[in-house]
Amino acid sequence: MDIGPFEADNSVSCRLASQIPDVCRVEDCCLGIDEAGRGPVLGPMVYGICFCPLSKTNALKELKVADSKTLSEVERENLFQKLDEAKGYVGWALQILSPNTISTSMLQRTKYNLNALSHDTAIGLVQYALDSGVQLKEIFVDTVGPAEKYEQKLSQRFPGINVTVRPKADSLFPVVSAASICAKVCRDRIVKGWNFSEDLGEVDTDYGSGYPNDPKTKAWLLKYLDPVFGYSQFVRFSWSTAQTLMDSKAVAVHWDDDEEDGEKAAHRQNNKSMLSYFSASAGGNDENPAHQTHRFFTERRLRSLKTL
Amino acid sequence: MATKKKRTPNVHNDSWVVIAADSVIDPQTHGSDPAFVRLRNPSTDGASLYVLASGDAQLYEVKAFEEDLHSWFVGQTVQRDGKLLFVTPMDPLYLILPYLVKCGKEGKFQPVDQVVMDEEFPACSRLLRCTRSLASLHHIAEEKEVGSLKFHRYSEEKTMNWLKKKVERTVVALRNRNISVGEGVKSTTYVRVKSESDYCEEDYLRYGHGLISEYISEDLSKALLRHLQLPELTSPKETEPPSKRRKLSDKPVEAGDDYTKFNSPDFARKPPKKMTAAQKSLAKVDKTGMKTMSSFFSPKVKAEKK
Amino acid sequence: MSCNTSVTHVRVSSVSQAQGVPVHLMPCEIEHNGPAEVSQYFTATTKDHKHEKTVSFRGRGLKGQEIRCPEGYTGLVLKEISKPGSDQEDRTVKVSSVFDKLTYWNLETPPNSDDTVVLAMDWPKMAEAIHGPVED
Repeated sequence: MDIGPFEADNSVSCRLASQIPDVCRVEDCCLGIDEAGRGPVLGPMVYGICFCPLSKTNALKELKVADSKTLSEVERENLFQKLDEAKGYVGWALQILSPNTISTSMLQRTKYNLNALSHDTAIGLVQYALDSGVQLKEIFVDTVGPAEKYEQKLSQRFPGINVTVRPKADSLFPVVSAASICAKVCRDRIVKGWNFSEDLGEVDTDYGSGYPNDPKTKAWLLKYLDPVFGYSQFVRFSWSTAQTLMDSKAVAVHWDDDEEDGEKAAHRQNNKSMLSYFSASAGGNDENPAHQTHRFFTERRLRSLKTL
Repeated sequence: MATKKKRTPNVHNDSWVVIAADSVIDPQTHGSDPAFVRLRNPSTDGASLYVLASGDAQLYEVKAFEEDLHSWFVGQTVQRDGKLLFVTPMDPLYLILPYLVKCGKEGKFQPVDQVVMDEEFPACSRLLRCTRSLASLHHIAEEKEVGSLKFHRYSEEKTMNWLKKKVERTVVALRNRNISVGEGVKSTTYVRVKSESDYCEEDYLRYGHGLISEYISEDLSKALLRHLQLPELTSPKETEPPSKRRKLSDKPVEAGDDYTKFNSPDFARKPPKKMTAAQKSLAKVDKTGMKTMSSFFSPKVKAEKK
Repeated sequence: MSCNTSVTHVRVSSVSQAQGVPVHLMPCEIEHNGPAEVSQYFTATTKDHKHEKTVSFRGRGLKGQEIRCPEGYTGLVLKEISKPGSDQEDRTVKVSSVFDKLTYWNLETPPNSDDTVVLAMDWPKMAEAIHGPVED
């Protein structure tokens, strides 16, 4: 696994993939989907698929792949090594959602929530396998959310493929365990060697698990909070942990789509600047109420001033 | 998501981002430093900010570009106030004109330095030190020389001719710069419906008149409209599409007008337009009895005006 | 109400010491006046594509472009030297920085020729037409 393509620009989403085994293009295959790093406030979320011919499910089982969460980092690396050695019949692909992608999507004007983002990413990966000629017959998905709806969504999206969405699928189906190992190994490597594109000098890498309740993570978030910019792109700004810290320790920033009460919104719609309420003398130039500024100026938001 | 954050007023602003004509800060021009001064805005009659530079030889206008909820990064600092000030050369005659108009009502020739005086805005006398002021007074006033002394009397006829030239210059610039003189350009959901070539001369003339009207009183603006032979519009004047307005004109379609648009598929698709009640009544006005421009300038009519 | 008699002097001699600085017009209000690690956090993470620049600020995606000051115009940042005691007193500002281009940023929207700040740059040329001398 070469994470170089992601490290070249870790602010965006990136796909990494193995070679497609020839046998997967001619034999009926099963495919597992799992994710790594959904909860942490730090680092990317990695979506993984792993696939192999149905005839090879037993061979995959014999590799003793198991739920990545029950394994140590070293064990996961070893298992990934074994999967790599089985590349004659096992293929994988990963979609890395950078923390910046997660922040900007979830905080978008038209909100893009994490579930929708996850589903779309999973669908994109399955489509990638299909486009690569993998003969998909069965899909197994691990989920944290309600399974039925997601299963229905995927079945409709991929007619003719048998879709099973199941909580804890990563411990039930070896192909999902394999996907989970690929995703977790990838996330671990990225987090370990995170390349800060900000010019922050030497950064303390003792950020713990990245989970909001980890004291090490909390301490790190406090240490690396900038009063103006908040955080580096390693942090998910959309996490309430980050938001709360910024609300209390950083300067306030206001956007035109911030939640606001009805009265303020109404004023804004009337194109009135809130500032004109704060300083009447610095406000509008129209003493003569009959004077209406020409649209050349209003369209360009240009106005006369009374005072600097 | 984020908790609701209250905006606090920005009371301690001491920094401004400005785009200024190079001449404002030209170190070659000696004299005192440029200064922001408050003068009477001829269109609002209230205070507005201007700049006098090069030892008062040059006058500049200050316009602020300001959108709500903006801030600056300036080098390694944040400037909360997101205004961008434009400091552009200004014709001092626009600011001198209201003083001459006011005294012109007495009908006497007067020394201009006794005319351009304002208790509320003492800096206004500095306007006469602008290089262009005295040299261009003849555009708005009749001049009389007695010995070494010069006397001036406001002339509406001269002023109208001067303002007409101003409008014409402005129209040329509007065309050259492809400024959209149509309506509703800056609505995010609204796309420009006409290409620049579709606008007719009247659209440009009205737009140019509107721009010049930002620098003159409402009375002069109305007089200028008549001088330009543009019919006055009923409100809401600025929101009607130009095609509707054209209906007001009872002139036949002239060669100068772009009548090819009547053949365009775009025109054919449009449903026939209805005039508003106000437009109808305006269109019905019998224009035959209206005063000519020359009668407008005769002393008798002027006296009637006030 | 501020006083009409007070004026604000611009200390022109300060121009020679003024540094050229990058300026960015941000699509949000930042409740702060003062230092910020702009180059470390913002400039360092800005991506330059063909027709637009991208960056994020506080987890929000921004798209922007660079625009030059109109010909014959210079960007100045004026800074008040000392606060006057009352609004009757004259004030003095100095030129603390200069710029010949600025980058403006939209929240998520790609930069476009109808952006208000782009349209506002029409003003100096139009002002020339409105205020230039007319022939006799």
